[in-house]
Amino acid sequence: MAQEVLMPKLGLTMTEGTICAWLKPDGSYVNKGDPIFEVETDKITNKVEAMDEGILKIVLPEGSTAKVTQVVGYLLAEGEEIPAEAADVAAPATATAAPQEEVKAAAVPAEPKKEPVRVRATPAAKRRARESGIDLTQVTGTGPGGRIVEADVESYLEQQKELPATLPSEGEISAPVKATPTAVKLARDLGIDLAELSQERRLTKRDVLAAALLAEEGEEERVPLAGMRKVIAQHMLESWTVAPHVTINMEVEMDRARAIRKELNADCTQEDRISYNDLIIKAAAQALTEYPALNGTIDAEEIIYHNYVHMGVAVALEDGLIVPVVRHADKKSLREVAREVKDLAQRARAERLSLDEVTGSTFTVTNLGMFGVDDFTPIINQPESAILGVGTIKERPVVVDGSIDIRLTMTLSLSFDHRLVDGSVAAEFLGRVRELLEKPYGVRPEIA
Amino acid sequence: MRQLSYSEAIREALRLEMRRDSTVFLLGEDVGQFGGCFGVTGDLYKEFGEDRVRDTPISETAIIGAAVGAAATGMRPVPEIMFCDFLTVCMDQLVNQAAKMRYMFGGKAKLPMTVRAPVGGGISAAAQHSQSLEAWFTHVPGIKVIMPSTAADAKGLLTAAIRDDNPVMFFEHKLLYPVKGEVPEGEYVVPLGRADVKREGSDVTVVATSIMVSRALEAAEKLAAEGISLEVIDPRTLVPLDEDAILASVEKTGRVVIAQEAVTRSGFSAEIAAVIAEKALDYLDAPIKRVGSKWAPIPFAGVLEQFILPGTEDIIAAVKELV
Amino acid sequence: MEKEKLVDLYRQMLRVREFETKVTELFAQGKIPGFVHLYIGEEATAVGACANLRPDDYITSTHRGHGHCLAKGGDMKLMMAELFGKESGYCKGKGGSMHIADMDMGILGANGIVGGGLGIAPGAGLSAKLRGTDQVTVCFFGDGASNQTTFHEGINLASVWKLPVIFVCENNEYGISLHQSKHQRVADVADRAVAYGIPGVVVDGNDVMAVYEAVGEAVKRARAGEGPTLIEAKTYRWRGHFEGDPTVYRSDKELAEWKERCPIARFSKHLLDMDVVTEEELDKIKAEVDTEVEESVRFAEESPLPAPEEALEDVYA
Repeated sequence: MAQEVLMPKLGLTMTEGTICAWLKPDGSYVNKGDPIFEVETDKITNKVEAMDEGILKIVLPEGSTAKVTQVVGYLLAEGEEIPAEAADVAAPATATAAPQEEVKAAAVPAEPKKEPVRVRATPAAKRRARESGIDLTQVTGTGPGGRIVEADVESYLEQQKELPATLPSEGEISAPVKATPTAVKLARDLGIDLAELSQERRLTKRDVLAAALLAEEGEEERVPLAGMRKVIAQHMLESWTVAPHVTINMEVEMDRARAIRKELNADCTQEDRISYNDLIIKAAAQALTEYPALNGTIDAEEIIYHNYVHMGVAVALEDGLIVPVVRHADKKSLREVAREVKDLAQRARAERLSLDEVTGSTFTVTNLGMFGVDDFTPIINQPESAILGVGTIKERPVVVDGSIDIRLTMTLSLSFDHRLVDGSVAAEFLGRVRELLEKPYGVRPEIA
Repeated sequence: MRQLSYSEAIREALRLEMRRDSTVFLLGEDVGQFGGCFGVTGDLYKEFGEDRVRDTPISETAIIGAAVGAAATGMRPVPEIMFCDFLTVCMDQLVNQAAKMRYMFGGKAKLPMTVRAPVGGGISAAAQHSQSLEAWFTHVPGIKVIMPSTAADAKGLLTAAIRDDNPVMFFEHKLLYPVKGEVPEGEYVVPLGRADVKREGSDVTVVATSIMVSRALEAAEKLAAEGISLEVIDPRTLVPLDEDAILASVEKTGRVVIAQEAVTRSGFSAEIAAVIAEKALDYLDAPIKRVGSKWAPIPFAGVLEQFILPGTEDIIAAVKELV
Repeated sequence: MEKEKLVDLYRQMLRVREFETKVTELFAQGKIPGFVHLYIGEEATAVGACANLRPDDYITSTHRGHGHCLAKGGDMKLMMAELFGKESGYCKGKGGSMHIADMDMGILGANGIVGGGLGIAPGAGLSAKLRGTDQVTVCFFGDGASNQTTFHEGINLASVWKLPVIFVCENNEYGISLHQSKHQRVADVADRAVAYGIPGVVVDGNDVMAVYEAVGEAVKRARAGEGPTLIEAKTYRWRGHFEGDPTVYRSDKELAEWKERCPIARFSKHLLDMDVVTEEELDKIKAEVDTEVEESVRFAEESPLPAPEEALEDVYA
């Protein structure tokens, strides 16, 4: 029985999504749980996993937009065809996105069907491979009957670790190339030698395309502005255009915060540890309840004052950034905030956030301190009215009562929308954040 | 510690429980003056008399029926069925009456009875006196099932069984009766539902029941010389089953052999294998192997019987397929 | 026998009759699920036998057990609720008609296995003997069960150990659909008592006084430690083996003849003839029994169904 592949609903508000990439080629065999396509909404890009196993039949090509729960493809058994009525239904849906011929082209397998590769490996070996993200087809089995056992995966991993140090000299046999099936197919089609590409991570279609463009155009590299990059680009431009930004900086002494943090983290499990950022988030959340303009939104002819603080926390990703939201940060204890930030950040990096977890923030904290940045001018995360940038915390010479003392300090940079927030209000707000951080007992009583 | 044989340990448990609780009584074929077909009840008749060590007609249904009626009305009977093979004769009283009474009556009845029955081959007793039928009873909700492998466990588990308020099947292995081991003196209770690690190891887990425990320990000794380390787990009670102990060991070693004397097909080893596959699949680094009797009734001639029954070498062979 | 006791025999038979008559209606209306096996026509046997028993005596019963249960002191409300599968029923909805039990009243359970109780009853007798009490056990079973293993093994064991058990065979002429003449060569099951060296007695099972006296004699022997008795009560069930049984195996004439010998009509006539009671008194009893039955139905209907998860409780003590 043909299994439908649907455009999933990834959040409460999602109504449609764009297929930005098929991660498995048409006609390939996919296993349950394999990521098969990437969906882009106006907030987030998400990988969609196969709900079943079977041969993938793509109905909607990359770039198509589909309504939530619309059929975008099928998983078929060997020899099975797309149901006739379903093929008819699928066609009009693609009209908005792509010409019909293209659909037909996509539906025809590009090459003869290949037998799915069945790797003989034990469940323990498969688990280890899954955990470490390696491709079992690259591992040699030494177990009974040639099975790959857990120890084989371990020794493969050891080998991989040593690899950079023992990179083969010219002519020596190189280690197998790690690449996605799409990348392998594309490389073959475009005549790119995967072995010549950088091997820091598993090669994807994008790497191959980039290499192809590089080969064509020499020194330049052209890649499509798509996915998360495109979303970020749009949002930044929109914010910079619509909101007259002003940025003010203020130095904050963090010696007391350091002492408090040390105290709180003593005898504490890893997951309960409090970071400076958590303290800053909590301090900002508290100050926002006292300065509603900084927590507001301009909506056409009206101003919305939110009676809650949904704190956006910027998280840098490998190829972009995302702002997951700690809801009701003002009501939560410091430890709750810390745990939630940790969880959201981890899942953000693993691309495991739901759409609902990245929408609805009323204010954002962004931290470049770990990169050694002292101060900067962050761009407001629309439709918020302000954003707090956090600089490097380090010991600096400070003049105290006419003499120079060494203090732990940082600079906070607040960008605000001057339509809604005046300079004096912004300064008072920032001063209040400083006060809460320099006398963190004001924050402490809320610890659960 | 003092040494007792498996049958002496069982007798000691019976004696102590009969002294402790006047509602405990024994009934069965030739358990009285004769002392039991395998001599297990021995001299209990002398101490407790014919009322509490009752010789019955050769009527297995009547034996179990009487135990059910007595248990439901305040006694704590310990019937003996001379060979577990004869349980076929009284299945209705066990499966439809004893196992279900409490449940059918909405929890208002209590059936504290422990049915003792010897299992196992190895004595040229042929097809109707050599089976191991424990798996049948593990398929019936309401019954508990015990298979001790050592003298100490036999004493401790039988004591727990007699004190339990449910119908319990207590399967003794005939070949273990004369085997001696250290047995604690006085009151000694081994709680039901707790497995025992009979030997710690790191390479392969062997889950073994009844006499296969001692064979697994022999295999472990021999394989240790070859550098293969076996961990031997004895579930001791099949229902309730200590799944955690088995899973913990499998998670440690990643390889498992399940050894029982009963025929392999649909044996209790299949249940253990299923539990492992369901709950610890991701830790398995090799297929689950089962060791048991081959698919035939137990034959008479020693050479035939030894061919059918599983032994130490079968465990060793199974282990070697996994490492 | 004093009037009070005689009237009570009448009342008990009427309770069984009216309870079961109501069950036929409720079953037809689809309010009672599963199987019900009715005792209508056989009331004199259960009532006559149980009239000899104390609350601490035991009975084992059969799949046709409503009469035994009511006669031994079972609570009609709890029985009806159990038939409905309600939480408030005797078995919390887990047993139904075939497994009603009341351990406090010595009712060791109806039984879905033909001859099941014949195995258990000697155990209850043994228990009384070992505990040194004079409790007796009445084991009810049918002519069909007299061909089961448990009949032989159970009676033999009770006999050889002189257990205080009274085996009451309710010979209603049919083992399900098979007439007695087709399932055994003896005309009287009681003849089989000879094989176990115990007394065997045949009694008119539709005569409550006859049953009462025969069982009374056996109870006396049992309490005195003289061992078991086999009593065969000749009777007849008016309904099919189960509700819905088309009874193709018997004639209307046969049924009509047995209805002429209705145990309740016979006994009420006897009571009136002997001037023990008046018509008015009988009417009053009928009205009281009707009320009790109606109350049991209301109780059952108003009781909640058990929670589904309750199905996992009571498997072990």
